[in-house]
Amino acid sequence: MTDSPTPMPQWPVADFDPVRRLHVIAATAPGAARIGETVLGAPFERVWALAQDLERTMPLWIPDVRTVRLDRPAPSGSLPTTSLRARIHGHTRLRATFGIDLAPGWCLMQSRLVLGGMAARPETDRTTRFAFLGGLRFPGARLLAPALRPFTGDPLARFAALLEEEQDEE
Amino acid sequence: MQEPPPGLAELVRSAQGGDQLAVGRLLDLITPYVRRLCGPIALDDGADATQEALIVVFRKLRQLQDPAALYGWVRAIAVREAVRCANRAARSRPAELGEVPAPGDPQLAADIRDVLSRLSPAHRAVLLMRDLEGLDERQTAALLAVAPGTVKSRLSRARLSFRKAWQQ
Repeated sequence: MTDSPTPMPQWPVADFDPVRRLHVIAATAPGAARIGETVLGAPFERVWALAQDLERTMPLWIPDVRTVRLDRPAPSGSLPTTSLRARIHGHTRLRATFGIDLAPGWCLMQSRLVLGGMAARPETDRTTRFAFLGGLRFPGARLLAPALRPFTGDPLARFAALLEEEQDEE
Repeated sequence: MQEPPPGLAELVRSAQGGDQLAVGRLLDLITPYVRRLCGPIALDDGADATQEALIVVFRKLRQLQDPAALYGWVRAIAVREAVRCANRAARSRPAELGEVPAPGDPQLAADIRDVLSRLSPAHRAVLLMRDLEGLDERQTAALLAVAPGTVKSRLSRARLSFRKAWQQ
């Protein structure tokens, strides 16, 4: 019989999640970025299925977005990060091409002037923490902070209402 | 420490230039390493420590001149932020052990979390740098911004002191 080698210690690894990651982006992005978060009364899969359906749902809950046209369909399911491009038109002057990174629980998008993001993680089996970020990417944007209000003011409430509405329809 | 993946230099340069998609991808790349550093030092406050360390990393990213030095630079920030975060959270939980267990001590493998919870955050950092990152006393001292003698004293007489506490 041989001596078994001393097992390697299992060092603890810190928890982390996409919502915290979006807070890192919000805290470090140049220009001005605002983040808000809420806990939604639906499981993660349901919340993210709605959130990642960018072409259909973004105009329904992000106030200044009228149409979203992706260069190809967004993948559904649990693929790792996918890079997309989208042409987004707003009700006001927003008219821009966005680069988008999309993964389960994570979406970050930027045009030349605008930064947007959303992140989600399961809070419990039946609830989900959901965060939304809106920002302007140019120097001095902080002076325009009031201009961010339509972008970050009530989208979370609108998203929660949309989620409830679609749950009722099922 | 990690080997830099291909394309890292270009990703760092894009992130330094304000490309937020590059920042997101760089975050993806370094977060696992930061979690492994902050977990053993900050324990239950590991998630907060990871978030704070990453915020400091990306606030200071323009100061990083050589992208190949990214992981060493991130390590220095993460360890300091984890110690700071754990000290702030641990004021009400005094450490029981005055010394760091010796290399290869079987108790480290048996229940490292219990050992870590009985050390101060700075002692956990010394243990982590020595056993997981393979740093010597001089390198650890530089990383923690303390005198080399301080690291040496934290590591010395370890086994006896550790054993006593363990057996109580």
